[in-house]
Amino acid sequence: MNLESYIGQKNGPYLSWDSVNLPMIRQWCEVMGEKNPAYQEEQAAREAGYEAITAPPLMMQVWGMAGYLGARPEGSATGPSFTMIAELEQAGYTGVVAVNCEQEYLLPLYLGDRIHYETECQSVAGPKQTALGEAMFVTELSKYYNQRKEQVGTLLFRLMFYRPGGSA
Amino acid sequence: MNTVALTALRVGQDLPVEVIAISTRMVVGTAIATRDFQDVHHDSKAACDAGVPDVFMNILTTNALVGRYVTDWAGPHARICKIDVKLGAPNFPGDSMTLAGSVQSIDTDSGRVVVAVVGNNQLGSHVIGSVTLVLPTPAAHP
Repeated sequence: MNLESYIGQKNGPYLSWDSVNLPMIRQWCEVMGEKNPAYQEEQAAREAGYEAITAPPLMMQVWGMAGYLGARPEGSATGPSFTMIAELEQAGYTGVVAVNCEQEYLLPLYLGDRIHYETECQSVAGPKQTALGEAMFVTELSKYYNQRKEQVGTLLFRLMFYRPGGSA
Repeated sequence: MNTVALTALRVGQDLPVEVIAISTRMVVGTAIATRDFQDVHHDSKAACDAGVPDVFMNILTTNALVGRYVTDWAGPHARICKIDVKLGAPNFPGDSMTLAGSVQSIDTDSGRVVVAVVGNNQLGSHVIGSVTLVLPTPAAHP
């Protein structure tokens, strides 16, 4: 199948359900074993050079996740950013795994910040034979912004869409 | 908690190895904490239908663990500015992941340090990653 027409397609904005908040930070740190006090204590954050309690940079992608209902707050673009999902599923590529992720963090995130992101489809590849089955690869670049429209980071995501059933 | 001194680092220096046990509880708990409700991370039947033996760790968690592994070593005043991961064999419950890192490059002017990380499980390579940190420079912290 030919997914070339998706290359360069831009989508967004995708708004966050929750502003950067301490309960989610605490719960994430709890399961990840993250003990850096700058993420939970004001004094420790200032000592580390932050203005105030800061969110773990590795949570950047978490704020923008669609969540349990797979939906987005009003004001967001509708549908998944990977708009080729429907076409891929129709063609039998019903399995999805993430294979690469490259992130850059440009600005710290503080409690109360509201994050949104915008995407651009960078490249497509395949079909290729993999251990999980015949697969197509789609790479998307997301740019994350705060409520002041300052870019806080980038996230390059490559997903592998495959036909379950192995390489037979 | 101390932060490593930039001037004390050496290229090729190894980070202490960390072993993380993978359980269903952990796979599901970390998926939810990362707001990832993709069925292959909590529903074993869905995972089976997708051609894998069980639920498996999501990439947001792999990312988080690689980052945390490096900053545990670097200390609380180190800031991650870049993290790249490439996933291989999934982390399934019952397995464990061994994380090992080494310092790849050091820039004493900017304070940028690149650490290469590999995470292996019993199936092989789970993750190959690279974390770029910014450490306080001697000029900033005499």
